[in-house]
Amino acid sequence: MSYSIVGKPVPRTDSEAKARGEAQFTADLSLPGMLYGKILRSPHAHARILNIDTSKAENLIGVKAVITGKRDAIPYDWGVFPYTRDYQLFPIDTVRYIGQEVAAVAAISEDIAERALKLIDVEYEPLPAVFDPEEAMQEDAPVIHNDKPRNICVQVKVDEGDVDKAFAEADLVLEGSFKSPDHTYCQGEPYAVLAKFDSSGVDIWCPNAGPHMKARPLSSALGIPTSEVRLHHVCIGGAFGGRSEVSPADVIACLLAKKAHFPVKIVYSREENNNYIRQRVGWITHLKMGFKRDGTWTAVDLRSIVDGGAHASTGPIAVSVPYMEMETTYRVKNLRYNGYRVYTNKPPRGMHPEQNRAFHIPVEFHLDKAAGILGIDPVEMRLKNGMIPGFITATGARITSCGLTECIQKATEKARWKEKKGKLPPGHGIGIACGSVMSGFPMGIRGGSAAFIKFNEDGDATIISGVVDNGQGNESMVSQIVAEELGLPLDKVKLVSADTYICPSDQGAYSQTATLISGGAAKEAAADAKRQLFEVAAKMLDARPEELEARDGNIYIKNALDRRVTIRRTVINALANDITIMGRGYRWPDIDKDREWVTNPRGQFATTYSYGCSVAEISLDMETGKVRVINMVAAHDCGYPINAMAVEQQLEGAAWGSGICDGLFERLLWDQGQTLNGNNLDYWFPTALDSPPVYPIIVSSNDPFGPFGAKEGSLSIRMSMYSAIACAIYDAIGTLPSEVPFTPEKVLDAIEKWQKEV
Amino acid sequence: MDKRIIRLTVNGEEHQVEISAKETLLEVLRERLSLTGAKEGCQDGSCGACTILLDGKPARACLVLAAEAEGKDILTIEGLSRDNELHPIQEAFIHHGGIQCGFCTPGMILTAKALVDSNPEPTEAEIEEAISGNLCRCTGYAKIVESIIAATKRG
Repeated sequence: MSYSIVGKPVPRTDSEAKARGEAQFTADLSLPGMLYGKILRSPHAHARILNIDTSKAENLIGVKAVITGKRDAIPYDWGVFPYTRDYQLFPIDTVRYIGQEVAAVAAISEDIAERALKLIDVEYEPLPAVFDPEEAMQEDAPVIHNDKPRNICVQVKVDEGDVDKAFAEADLVLEGSFKSPDHTYCQGEPYAVLAKFDSSGVDIWCPNAGPHMKARPLSSALGIPTSEVRLHHVCIGGAFGGRSEVSPADVIACLLAKKAHFPVKIVYSREENNNYIRQRVGWITHLKMGFKRDGTWTAVDLRSIVDGGAHASTGPIAVSVPYMEMETTYRVKNLRYNGYRVYTNKPPRGMHPEQNRAFHIPVEFHLDKAAGILGIDPVEMRLKNGMIPGFITATGARITSCGLTECIQKATEKARWKEKKGKLPPGHGIGIACGSVMSGFPMGIRGGSAAFIKFNEDGDATIISGVVDNGQGNESMVSQIVAEELGLPLDKVKLVSADTYICPSDQGAYSQTATLISGGAAKEAAADAKRQLFEVAAKMLDARPEELEARDGNIYIKNALDRRVTIRRTVINALANDITIMGRGYRWPDIDKDREWVTNPRGQFATTYSYGCSVAEISLDMETGKVRVINMVAAHDCGYPINAMAVEQQLEGAAWGSGICDGLFERLLWDQGQTLNGNNLDYWFPTALDSPPVYPIIVSSNDPFGPFGAKEGSLSIRMSMYSAIACAIYDAIGTLPSEVPFTPEKVLDAIEKWQKEV
Repeated sequence: MDKRIIRLTVNGEEHQVEISAKETLLEVLRERLSLTGAKEGCQDGSCGACTILLDGKPARACLVLAAEAEGKDILTIEGLSRDNELHPIQEAFIHHGGIQCGFCTPGMILTAKALVDSNPEPTEAEIEEAISGNLCRCTGYAKIVESIIAATKRG
């Protein structure tokens, strides 16, 4: 199929404003009379709030409002799910982590606001706290939420096939454990909120991954109708899953603005951003895998303990997703999984694509270990067990488009696997890992997207869509889809997006649906508009609508291209005949609505799945333990690339984020609930000097549901490259540290331990 | 706090600004002059998002006191496109995919400009070294380096 705009590597529509410095991020905005907000945070990991005296702060000149959860918040327990409502966004009587919000000030300058914070006296009664998830699960551990015994937030249970029988009949059974520490999102842009509250409601600007997802909880927290909570479009500096949910800062900024009767802007410091919006989970996995002699993977039993921090966040999803991805990557049918999200007295943890590293790495590592024992090449192991189209997984997920085999073939060919595997010099290794990511999982009544299209007098189209862009290029993607469908050049398509006041509900950048669902809805709206355009143009051209096609701003009669009329003239002609052309469309994921993360993990849980294969080549210094990544190959099946350059951008970022950042560098260090390295200098954040060559490969399996065949754009790599590096380390030294990141110290410890055993 | 009037030359234009002694150049650019292209990412000079050029050399506006910048030539991202025409480095970033979320972009482009002005045909290694103080969470730096190389070939 040859298209004009989709599939091409066109410059993104948002790039020029960003290159010029014109793009406005939340902290760049200001409104008349705007005040500056600052937040007072708990120094205790677990404590009752007995009393807060704000009188001295209120009397400081320049302070316009002081609020506390105790006095000013509406009692409201928020949760992503009805059964995870455990979060008072502005705590009233209990704090559960160091840094939790206790009071806030709005003043005429940041300096005055900060001075006012120091004048607020808070009386706490410290309570016992727990920081390690395995300790938190003990009977005698401090209780963080009274209704959750042993601090178990959720338990996801899967038991499919006959796992015990399959292990009994296996020719080879391997066991192991792996862990990953908690870490931080560290988005480029520190979090910020600007809120304006008046008699018509509240206007809010803040980084988000779905403004509609924030509007409903904010309306509950503020006690006003959802239609009066207006989140507006703003340029967003990255989210990576950590800005999907409503945040305490959102509620606090609104309450301050309401009390002060002026707009309030809160801008987080780097430490606040890294620690107090969401952190990223810590994870422990114990697993057992069974194989037949010929390499068929027949059984797996996994137990994961996820350190979720003090609140549930998207707990059921976070704990389930790594398991489900394994189930849609490999054809193993006897599976048992017990995933526990556990409360600890640390900041809450959100979703992140790389959260599964302590799940994915041991699975891939044990596939390689089995391959070694059984005398099978690791690539053959993946091909033998890897997913194929038409398969129905153990929990009933139907696989439609699946380009995994092609990804494996292309990635290993590019990486020159056959030339290198087993033939590299000492201290060198090459490793492979596969991934699969769901596109479109259940989100209840907010799981769909809708779009409208209107035309301007000059024939340009404007799309109104709830789609949100965190930097991954979603705005450009939707514009390209509509331009292609309508037959307009890309610069004649404008987008109004991510505004809850104007745009219909959209599921946000959740569950990897921006292309599939937001893009799909926009395509429906464009198709609807095109039908109406063709009705009008047909009369102008004395033809039938079904004889027409649109391209490059013109409507043609197919096979008679000299007979044409511009889209602009068609629009004007319509208006002259009292016809207003308006496109509308919506799209919902094709899923089993009875499937639920915890209560019923069976049935079609996502519309479709992307696939990918990561290959990494490394060299290791045996004296220092330092791992150097020589190159990474990232082959990903995105169905069809709406913008090939944008997909490559995502693949390169994913390979680096997964392989380098998470595989080798990032971890948070703690002392009794206090992060010690929540800033850039101490977090050990990699730079341009740590970025080896990445070779992105796009595979197109043409998904039947996605717009132009497109589905999720890169996450299979983000969720597998660290495993390819792990397998490459194993290839180089015959062992693997039992936790990430693979720092020199850990690698040396692993080598020493291995040498002792041998 | 001590208030004084200073003269700042920003993007070829002179401004008279009343500042307090402790105000940083970043604060003055963003809040007094409404030049919000330079970003605040970290408050400790580690991220590079506030990078501007002082007499042609990259500097962390968050670590420069506004008063120190008096008498120097300050270039921000807003001053890079002349008469609205994009600088070749900006063009290259747009056409070669060097921009994702855009938060690091102004600092990154200015750092690249300073490099290319003093070293018109830098190697990949020289580019990586030059931009090693500009943190990017999105790209993995691959297309940023490609964009800078492409800009040098355009001249």
